[in-house]
Amino acid sequence: MRPFTIPDVSRQFRFLKHQLFVFGLAMVPVSLMTAALFLLRDSLNTSTVALLFLIPVMISTSLWGLFSGVFSAFAAFLAYNYFFLQPYYTFNVHDSQDIITLLIFLAVAVFNSQLVGRVRSGLAAAVARERETTLLYELSLDLAGAGSPAEIAAVLARKTADTAQATNLEVSIGPIYGDPSFQLSIPENTPPDVTPHVVIPLETVRASVGQIRVWLQVPPLTPGQERLLRAFAAQGTLALERMALAHTETRAQVLEESDRLKSALLSSVTHELRTPLATIKASTTSLISDEIPWETPARHDLLSVIDEETDYLNYLVGNLLDMSRIEAGALKPKRHWNILSEIIDGVLVRLHRILSGFTVDIHIPDDLPVVPVDYSQMEQVFINLLTNSAKYAPQGSTIRLEANLQDENTALVSVKNEGPQVNPDNLDRIFDKFYRITEPEKVSGTGLGLSICKGIVEAHGGRIWAENVPGGLAFRFTIPLRLDGNSPPQIEAEDL
Amino acid sequence: MKPMAHILVIEDEPQMQRALRTILSAHNYRVSIASSGEEGLALAAAEKPDTIILDLGLPDMDGVEVCIQLRQWTQIPIIILSVRSDEGDKIKALDQGADDYLVKPFGTGELLARLRVAQRHLAKSQGEPDTVIVSGDLTIDLTRYIVTRAGNEVKLTATEYRLLAYLASHANRVLTHPHILENVWGPEYRDDVEYLRVFMSQLRKKLEAHPKKPVHILSEPGIGYRFITDA
Repeated sequence: MRPFTIPDVSRQFRFLKHQLFVFGLAMVPVSLMTAALFLLRDSLNTSTVALLFLIPVMISTSLWGLFSGVFSAFAAFLAYNYFFLQPYYTFNVHDSQDIITLLIFLAVAVFNSQLVGRVRSGLAAAVARERETTLLYELSLDLAGAGSPAEIAAVLARKTADTAQATNLEVSIGPIYGDPSFQLSIPENTPPDVTPHVVIPLETVRASVGQIRVWLQVPPLTPGQERLLRAFAAQGTLALERMALAHTETRAQVLEESDRLKSALLSSVTHELRTPLATIKASTTSLISDEIPWETPARHDLLSVIDEETDYLNYLVGNLLDMSRIEAGALKPKRHWNILSEIIDGVLVRLHRILSGFTVDIHIPDDLPVVPVDYSQMEQVFINLLTNSAKYAPQGSTIRLEANLQDENTALVSVKNEGPQVNPDNLDRIFDKFYRITEPEKVSGTGLGLSICKGIVEAHGGRIWAENVPGGLAFRFTIPLRLDGNSPPQIEAEDL
Repeated sequence: MKPMAHILVIEDEPQMQRALRTILSAHNYRVSIASSGEEGLALAAAEKPDTIILDLGLPDMDGVEVCIQLRQWTQIPIIILSVRSDEGDKIKALDQGADDYLVKPFGTGELLARLRVAQRHLAKSQGEPDTVIVSGDLTIDLTRYIVTRAGNEVKLTATEYRLLAYLASHANRVLTHPHILENVWGPEYRDDVEYLRVFMSQLRKKLEAHPKKPVHILSEPGIGYRFITDA
């Protein structure tokens, strides 16, 4: 409610002075018209004079408002009566027609002022609306750039404070959409301990998500301000909702992606597991069957197939296990100082069957320092890289294994094969789960080998990538040479 | 014919029990089977088997715990069965006195070889320890501190010799890294695998014809080393 205020005397005085000034001004057109008509008095009849006197009345009304219009109407009537009606130079009114003239003057003044007033207020409303639109447009621009509830609140607070000319303001939001609730005050101290002048709720269709509390410099708000503030709040709420929707959509996408991955895994795994199982089943049922007395070499063949396929199944299961550990973040390398060539030698012995058709070239300098790695996991990296190379490179080609110091803190390992090159766009993707360059039907495997390498190398703090090199493809990875902040220990040779 | 060796299998998987019973019986072993840790401990005490095959993944108690309890009263050889993922448990069990381990899935050949080693080890621990150990062209004379390869003496440094002697006197058994480090370098070196790696590399260069494909000292990845002697 507007508080009762004692009338301000000086303000009233100023108003009076203003009105007197306006009346003075209103006299100007009337006087000028009177003077002009007086000179032409003999050539004009009285009704023409009366009509022409409407001009100063309209001018005064249009320029200075109703009061000066009415004032000039009276002045014009008196001038008309005094100078132009017989007998001249008297204020006597002889005729009821003269009264009608006065009434017409007044009516013109009133109507004209109303017309002008309507145009003026229409203009003012248009200007105000334009300002509102501009402010709302600015707000929505700022909100579009806001990425979090905090930023939205900041935008709302700034705009609201500007518009309402608030001394203090507080925006509180939440807790919503998984973000914690929070409050933002302008200026940055706690809001005053009195009831705010205005509280604007932030409401979505479903629920209230917060509010803006405003303390004003000059209460209360004008209806225009209030309308604007509510529009701000509505925009802010919309922005919050839009963000929540985006959140939900991202989560839905992530879930969908992980669902897609899971079904890809399932189909890949069932296919991969079933192939060796089918071979094993066929071989064992043949051996169990009494129908054929198997000759010793044939028996041995079937049994070797079973033996090899069980090894392969075991490798597949191992890969799946590694992958699930990497996924769960449970792959914690137990790092110790190890000799890289010892790891590689062990792997080569284990993979002799797979690598039998290849020449394996190893170039590791004798003075390469010991590397801080988990022995079994690093073995797995080499097993997967070599298995991959053997799978894609042509039989009889060379696989080259190299290790060097990239700098004093990093070892660089590379496994080069003479297999097909990879489209440069896909060089990163080959480390993705289930990614294959060729059709899954043509090459066996779960499509997990390289992504396991990536998981292990990254768990060691290194980086792995693939490069097309002349005549083939190279896998390279780095191993940081620091363990708990220590560089590789130098173990002194002993004398005999 | 020597009396049949008696083997206690502590394993809860029925199909594995069935397979082990069939395989071991076919190789002239007498087989008892326990499906839980408790039952295994009871049977071990009641039947005094010659060797125990112990699965680390038992339903009622930790396999390592079974190992510890067995070692409180008996030196019966224990062979551990485990899956690839639990290196930590394997090392714990080996350090707690288990003699050897097998990773599932394993071949029958491996299993029988481990059993034979365990039997020999049991026989030796009851008699005089060997003073001369032979592995292919390699001969280690523990009393005279002489190592020869194909008849020629191999010059070893003090630590190299201590390492080789320790491995050779526990021949055919898997020895864990921490265990070797403690016994050759001292307890404070228990975790410094780099010493072991470096000295092992030097030792192999002196002893092995192809150091990259060792035949005398084998690596057990992530676990330890095993010195192989002639059967």
